[in-house]
Amino acid sequence: MHAALTVLAILFGWLFTVATAWALGTLLLRRFSLVFYRWEERLFAFLVGAALLSAIVFVLCAAHLAWKALFLVLGLAIIGYALRSGAHRPRGEAFPSLPQLWRWVFLIVFGAFTILYFVNALEPESSPDGMSYHLGVVAKYQRTHGFPRITTDIYASLSEGIEMLFLWAFEYGRHSAAALVHFAFFIALTFLILSYAQRIGRPAAGVAAAIFFYASPVVGLDGSVAYIDVGITAVLFALFYLLQIWDQERNAKLLIPIGILAGFSYAVKYTAFLAVPYTLGFIAWKLWRARKPVLRPVLTVSMLALAFILPWMAKSWIEVANPFSPFANRVFPNPYVHISFEDTYRKYMRVYGLTSYWQIPWQVTVRGDLTTGLIGPLFLLSPLALLALRFREGRQLLLAGLIFGLPYVTNVGTRFLIPAVPFVSLSLALGLSGVEWLLLVLVAAHAISCWPNVVQRYCSPAAWRLVKVSPKAALRIQPHDAYLKGNLGYDLAQMMETYVPMDAKVFAFTQPGAAYTSRQVLVGYEGAFNEVLQDILWTPMFRDFQPTRSLTFQFPPREFRKLRVVETASVPAEAQWSVSELRVFDSGRELPRDPEWRLTAHPNPWDVQLAFDNSAVTRWRSWQPPEPGMYLEIDFARNQKLDSVVVESSGDTSATKIELDGLSSDGKWTTIAAAPTESLRPSRMSLRQSATAEFKARGIRYLLITDDNIGANDFRSYSKLWGLKTVAEQGVARLYYIE
Amino acid sequence: MNRIVVAILPLLLCCCDRLPETYPPPEQRQPQALTPDPYAMMVEMNDPDAAQHIVKDIYEPFGSPWRWTAKQPTVKVLVDATDNVKMSADFAIWDDGFKQTGPLELSYFVNGRLLDKLKYATPGYKHFEKAVPAGWLAADAESTISVDVDKLYVSPQDGKKFGLILTRIGFLR
Repeated sequence: MHAALTVLAILFGWLFTVATAWALGTLLLRRFSLVFYRWEERLFAFLVGAALLSAIVFVLCAAHLAWKALFLVLGLAIIGYALRSGAHRPRGEAFPSLPQLWRWVFLIVFGAFTILYFVNALEPESSPDGMSYHLGVVAKYQRTHGFPRITTDIYASLSEGIEMLFLWAFEYGRHSAAALVHFAFFIALTFLILSYAQRIGRPAAGVAAAIFFYASPVVGLDGSVAYIDVGITAVLFALFYLLQIWDQERNAKLLIPIGILAGFSYAVKYTAFLAVPYTLGFIAWKLWRARKPVLRPVLTVSMLALAFILPWMAKSWIEVANPFSPFANRVFPNPYVHISFEDTYRKYMRVYGLTSYWQIPWQVTVRGDLTTGLIGPLFLLSPLALLALRFREGRQLLLAGLIFGLPYVTNVGTRFLIPAVPFVSLSLALGLSGVEWLLLVLVAAHAISCWPNVVQRYCSPAAWRLVKVSPKAALRIQPHDAYLKGNLGYDLAQMMETYVPMDAKVFAFTQPGAAYTSRQVLVGYEGAFNEVLQDILWTPMFRDFQPTRSLTFQFPPREFRKLRVVETASVPAEAQWSVSELRVFDSGRELPRDPEWRLTAHPNPWDVQLAFDNSAVTRWRSWQPPEPGMYLEIDFARNQKLDSVVVESSGDTSATKIELDGLSSDGKWTTIAAAPTESLRPSRMSLRQSATAEFKARGIRYLLITDDNIGANDFRSYSKLWGLKTVAEQGVARLYYIE
Repeated sequence: MNRIVVAILPLLLCCCDRLPETYPPPEQRQPQALTPDPYAMMVEMNDPDAAQHIVKDIYEPFGSPWRWTAKQPTVKVLVDATDNVKMSADFAIWDDGFKQTGPLELSYFVNGRLLDKLKYATPGYKHFEKAVPAGWLAADAESTISVDVDKLYVSPQDGKKFGLILTRIGFLR
């Protein structure tokens, strides 16, 4: 009974979300008297409505009004109004029937894969990103009925257009309802591909392209979990499709859904920002060539797009002082995301585990381990898509595919190819449409080669793919907990739920399944504050991080108002400048740190106190490559007599060079000493307790460590030295309490 | 329209507090109870004072956290206690060198006494750890630790000889 109710709740959450989106979209399309073919109307209505519903949920979250009851009332009102307005009665004409052979091909292949994907989506959510952040943030919003200010999780700063829809569904059906919402985008996109081909009079190519896309292993898995890649692809394809219709009909009212979808693209995923210049460029180019006024249509689309883009920028700006967080931190320096993180992230995303870019074609089509997933061997034939260049539609498809595929150069994971896959699929099918039997062979070969039992015969065992589905788990005959047990992310989350008090904070190096815990987790790399904690924790274990270098500037006694330690060397990109302690002396006596002093640093002024706290485990770091001109500064608030300055620094900064500058009473900066004398002072005492004391001082009492984390053995072997007590141990994970 | 924009802009600006860029000195941390670091008797090859511990057969680093050794890398460390002490070493046998030398036999010595002799049939990362009899050590006195490599890789270019890629060696408690 409980299982049946759970499944019903999931299905309700899913269908209620889709129905509300569809109703909103239909109302908008009808309001502007936009008439399409029947299938087109349904599909565009869902996608445009999804954008509108997402915006509504955004507003409710911003106002902290994201309540289940309000969603219910609002949703029912929208659906009721749409039905009363006759929105469910299609206006447009139906497409001509598909040729019989191709109809059966589509029904059989689409039906088989749909069962597979539907069961996967209905299963308890266990995808890595779905359970960690796509639904992790959704669960937070659901608990707080809005946007709490999150500054320690980079993922919470990304645009979350589809996550807003997940939230609507999550309120009723939790995780699986959200995954099914993504699945709805997947279905919609598959039918959009088919519809577009029917519109251009190529139904066979449409069926083939729809199957090329739908059966692709990485697309199938992504589209049936709580990810957003297939969702954004649906939005981009719908945008392309509407632009093509506008190009034919030049109906100015079409610019309304076009503008909405262009803006929604950015709202769903930053990497889809190219949709906006593509849309504006397309419209401007077409109008200019037709010698029609350009400005007004372009402005209309821009304003509509901005209405969907600006709220996300404003949210990030208000919460983390950077409208493009977690990127563009050099342009918008802030205390929440380090530039070094961004650099490292970008560098990794450009290569993953590849040793050569020549590995990409084989990896993304067949092997799928180094780039996380495969689109299927069929796509080795992608160059044949160029045959479509002989058709106008083919040229448009290839251009759009190229533009939407461009962000792949910034992230070579196979998932990042998904936005280009429908365009390549349709171009390939269009290019070969003259040889129908060949298309049929390719469809059959692709469908067979993408079935999970067959995929495992040629892909890497480590490839991210759909391995098997469990109808028992999907129908909750196998309880949710029993199904997820053994999934590391879920197990970590459950460990915290069981052993960590409600309001306690946990530090972890490994991302847990945040969607399954209400505890606040600070993951080492997910924010500047967390990275500082990680640095503190690593300092006792790595001597290179410890303040073993003592750099002394000695000079004749003089009075200064301000003092600066300035970095003067250009150092390799991987390095950083750091200062553990900056001490000032007069006549051999260290001056106590006066509350009147004002401290600052450039860059990263927000951490400057770490160089003045008398702790050997904390340090101010540049968190970006050292550059001449970086400095730490003390403003004494009055003239202060000094005769030496000591900079305590770590071994990993040995490539940097520093000088000492002073501001004297005449208001002029002068160089006091061009170079310090260096002495080494290796520490032979354990700093472990000092590190955990820093955690306590920041209100963090729990550490969640897995065996593959750096230092895992040290925590286990020297837990007494750290002042740690093991609270729970399960498999490779340990939960420690800082005593 | 213009009026709406004018109305919204100040609202947005009000939302954004300017982050402070100067700070007073923070609360001063008091030193925690001092306990010896369990790695205090280990010599890390990238320690700033590693050279003071190296007795022989360990080359200068190439800006790396590890160093090449020759035939009998030897270090000296000050022993702060003699009970529950283990000799420990982390090193790697270079794949290309292994092709020339074949399996290696390493002898581990503490103060000239043979602690263990092990054969390594594969290249790659290795860890050695073995308890040292308390009687072999004297507290507050320096002890020598060495590893004898039976066969050395000879560079075809300059004839230079290499043993192990050493990351750390010493005593653990």
